[in-house]
Amino acid sequence: MSVLQHKNTLDSAAIRAQFPILGEKVHDRPLVFLDSAASAQKPVAVIDAMANTMRTQYANIHRGLHWMSERTTEAYEGVRDLVAAFLNAPSRNEIVFTRNSTEAINLVAHSFGALLKPGQAVVISEMEHHANLVPWQMLRDRAGIELRIAPITDAGDLDLEALQTLLADGKVGLVAVTHMSNVLGTVTPAKAIADMAHAAGAQVLFDGSQSVVHRKTDVQALGADFYTFTGHKLYGPTGIGVLWARKELLDAMPPFMGGGDMISTVTFERSTWANVPHKFEAGTPAIIETIALGAAITWVESIGMDAIAAHEAYLTAYALNRLQDVPGLNIVGQPQDRGGVISFTMADVHPHDIATLLDRNGIAIRAGHHCAEPLMRRLGLTATARASFGLYTVKEEIDVLADTLVRIRDFFV
Amino acid sequence: MTQVLDGSALYDQLIVARSRTPLFAGRLEQAEKVGNGKNPLCGDKTRVELALDHNHISQVRHQTRGCAICLAAADLMAERILGLSPDQALKVGQRFSALLVEDTVPATHEGEFEENAALGPLMAFAPLRAHRSRIRCAELPWVALKEALSHDDV
Repeated sequence: MSVLQHKNTLDSAAIRAQFPILGEKVHDRPLVFLDSAASAQKPVAVIDAMANTMRTQYANIHRGLHWMSERTTEAYEGVRDLVAAFLNAPSRNEIVFTRNSTEAINLVAHSFGALLKPGQAVVISEMEHHANLVPWQMLRDRAGIELRIAPITDAGDLDLEALQTLLADGKVGLVAVTHMSNVLGTVTPAKAIADMAHAAGAQVLFDGSQSVVHRKTDVQALGADFYTFTGHKLYGPTGIGVLWARKELLDAMPPFMGGGDMISTVTFERSTWANVPHKFEAGTPAIIETIALGAAITWVESIGMDAIAAHEAYLTAYALNRLQDVPGLNIVGQPQDRGGVISFTMADVHPHDIATLLDRNGIAIRAGHHCAEPLMRRLGLTATARASFGLYTVKEEIDVLADTLVRIRDFFV
Repeated sequence: MTQVLDGSALYDQLIVARSRTPLFAGRLEQAEKVGNGKNPLCGDKTRVELALDHNHISQVRHQTRGCAICLAAADLMAERILGLSPDQALKVGQRFSALLVEDTVPATHEGEFEENAALGPLMAFAPLRAHRSRIRCAELPWVALKEALSHDDV
């Protein structure tokens, strides 16, 4: 249990003071927020960035000829640089702003999917969020693409041997898998997956919605071709997500949506497209949210992704330890490498009853199928309860969770 | 830290008891009417089977996979509607729904069904009014009942 002896590297009191909502009470109890994997709370830096944009430097971007527009464009485009550095992307022009990770994956399914030929295949895994499943089913149904599902092991790891088998016929054009499961917490071996995909002639997409929050992300070191994440899980606002893709892929892909800002010239006969990334950003984007995403990235980087990862590894190990002592509690999945997401069930108590009673005691968790119904079926479950951690989570909150779970169990059994 | 479990008032003893040991769980050998309810948000589902005798519900069984509230709601629904006519059963359902979602529970009006429309043990679900995300759990069996009664004979 070396991780448990790890000294807490974050100044949790100072960090928590940056999140006004953590001072709120729920049902007259202090809020214990253990649902950050669904959406994270927002620090003052992000709240202020949104408000200050609207108060002091807001206008539409890219096409204005006035000072306010130019200044807002600079702030907006500056975030592209921040995101590129955050992902260690080779070029700022490979950063496409979307509404969320779901939209980023839909963009790839639509535009990269248009380059795939009938008979080619896309591989996803058994532990995908619906966001990385349904767009591929839609592509399959409209374009004659085969959809293959890479199984997971009983422990909740991606079965790499099975993936290898699925790649063997050389028909796979894309492997699209999660970088960290929102249900099991599994961190997938991205580099190994990328190497396997490339050896079989396929591109690889990682859904980084969960993982970018918890660890340093380097798309080049991972060998990724596409990488997606969403702002609201990274302590930023809703309505802003990111697609990173290699430039030659973006250049080859047709646009996703048509409209203003994504064109070069327009006549009634035809239009030509703007260069990447603008080709994929039709219409007025989420200007305020994008600027605030920049504030979120600057803020988490000021704390340091390595320090955040160490803190969450400690919390996760501590929570696994504490939850094991709750009578009747079963932790779902024992993956080799995991992040701060723990799903569990409890004998004789349904996850929704757990969630309701935790809520009445001020503790916010998620219960249900977590937008991963096929994974639930694979696990032989209909629902789990899920506690997930953020950089503001503290050990004392896990104690409150574990103690309350014991009392819930006593109440029902 | 206090040892009191807040929110336990939501779970009346009757609800806990019926979720643990339902009295009407299972299938009928010969169901005349069958209805299903499913909550896609959580995956809970229930199947309600009825037999009628002279336009009165003579037997009820349910097969429910769900939370304590859903299970107890199905079981207490079965108990409450036994012996009622389909119209009377649906009327109880309307009053149950009003109990859960309306600001005030409608007063009992004069009329021939009023006695039968009383909620009785279903009042155990009243605290759910303050917990809107769980109201659907209690309503699910009634959705299945409505479907069962809207079908022609099986």
